[in-house]
Amino acid sequence: MKINRQLIEFKDTFKLESGKVLSGFELMVDTYGELNSDTSNAILVCHAFSGNHHAAGKHNTDVTEGWWDQMIGPGKAIDTNKHFVVCPNNLGGCAGSTGPTSINPASKEPYGGDFPVVSVSDWVNSQKLLMEHLGINKWELVIGGSLGGMQALEWSLSYPDLVNKAGVIAAAAKASTQNIGMNEVAREAIRKDENFHDGNYLAMRTKPKRGLKTARMLGHITYLSEEHMNLRFGRKVQNEDTKIDGYVDFEIENYLKYKGEKFSDSFDANSYILMTKAMDGYDPASRKNGNLYKAMEPIKAKLLIVGFETDWLFPAKRGKEIQAAAMNANILSSFVILPGNQGHDSFLFHTPEYEKIINNFIES
Amino acid sequence: MNRSLLKIIDSWVPKNSKVIDLGCGDGSLIAELTESKGIIGYGVEINAEKIATCVANGISVIQEDIDDGVEKFNGMGFDISIMASSIQCLRNPNLALENMLNMSKKTIVTLPNFGYWKCRLGLLGGSMPITDNLPKTWYETNNLHLCTIKDFENLCSDMGFKIEKKRYIDIRSKESFFAKLFPNLFAAEGVYLLSK
Repeated sequence: MKINRQLIEFKDTFKLESGKVLSGFELMVDTYGELNSDTSNAILVCHAFSGNHHAAGKHNTDVTEGWWDQMIGPGKAIDTNKHFVVCPNNLGGCAGSTGPTSINPASKEPYGGDFPVVSVSDWVNSQKLLMEHLGINKWELVIGGSLGGMQALEWSLSYPDLVNKAGVIAAAAKASTQNIGMNEVAREAIRKDENFHDGNYLAMRTKPKRGLKTARMLGHITYLSEEHMNLRFGRKVQNEDTKIDGYVDFEIENYLKYKGEKFSDSFDANSYILMTKAMDGYDPASRKNGNLYKAMEPIKAKLLIVGFETDWLFPAKRGKEIQAAAMNANILSSFVILPGNQGHDSFLFHTPEYEKIINNFIES
Repeated sequence: MNRSLLKIIDSWVPKNSKVIDLGCGDGSLIAELTESKGIIGYGVEINAEKIATCVANGISVIQEDIDDGVEKFNGMGFDISIMASSIQCLRNPNLALENMLNMSKKTIVTLPNFGYWKCRLGLLGGSMPITDNLPKTWYETNNLHLCTIKDFENLCSDMGFKIEKKRYIDIRSKESFFAKLFPNLFAAEGVYLLSK
């Protein structure tokens, strides 16, 4: 598989939905496979909130495969032998694209807490510039899971002529009250870390690692199903020698702490806040007095909406709501529920049924 | 679905109408009607294999159990709802019909006639009949509520559904003289266009 990783600079000023303006920005972008001569084989993959541009394969120094490697690659559901797959790190992220850890040209210090609020629309608009940069006329497919699914939906409704198909996986047309509540607990854990310094921790040469770790531990619970956690950990007691700290009794505690610790090493706390705020704020129906089907009327793309049985963060019924609104607006759209026992995270993992649905949709 | 059944249904579906096919299978009826009438069609199906086939064929399909209620499709502006050879598989066929007529202006139903002479012959012989359009044994079949042409038409009259059009076809899928004259005995299948 041909992998190309590049940092692309956009020099023009970029106006955000909030009204704030970036004087320019950079996107870290992975592409897999090759663009054909009439650019009709391009697929945009949008990542979920803690994801990044590295969706598949291994490039140079990569230690692991990308986050959607089970679905993207030669002969896989998203077949890189046939398609040119583009996956950028979102604006406001912390994996190479312009975000809170980048240097603010005005202050010559990292943006930190001063990085402007970004929205799902801002991501889509920045990806539109990326599309132009890559010389792609129309996406054959825009696809993503969770917050990535929100971007796929937003693409189809804000640029109806530029999207043939949209795959909205394990997503919702807006975050639920419960989603917002969970996200706020996570954000509060970060803010209450004494090293947070109103988001300007990098200037103080420190990081709110403990807050970020707690946030991720909570988040991680919401990504898994009760059944899966029970099967994997049950009430198994953690081995004394491998306990992360003296407070740990059960394996699940150790696991969450380990995951949280690892995450807090690699992710930026301000990005966490920005990404979750973008997720909470997304609500296309609000542009049409709460009427989702009115908001979806411009869509010309064919939609595939997928939910997973054990997902309780964005339950399948939230996907069904999107399809119902699409059907109300006479938009060609399908809704499928897949088994997947890993809760919300099911969208990351290959199953034969999942591969078949995605592949059938692409080939249809 | 056989050609003559398809032809009848096709003739009842207005051009460019919005159609929902409950129990759409592999979506072939929607594909045909999209081609011939330019419909905007949606299928409802519960079988994962069939759903995957619909998606492969570019048919809009919704994974849903019709028995869980189809009220959710009300108010979406459907012109026609169709239930082809599935009504006898439902837990509450009468409620499903009621709901179909709520969600769409008109409803098309096709059903196997349990009063067909071969079925009667089978019962006379003391066994649940096995025929070309009821090919499975009693323990394998999905059919819960088999009825005769007469039963169905009585139900429509009891529920206040208007039978706008009806056609009867025999086992060779022909609209034969006998099937027309004595449908309850000689029609293997009834096809109905209903309204409220």
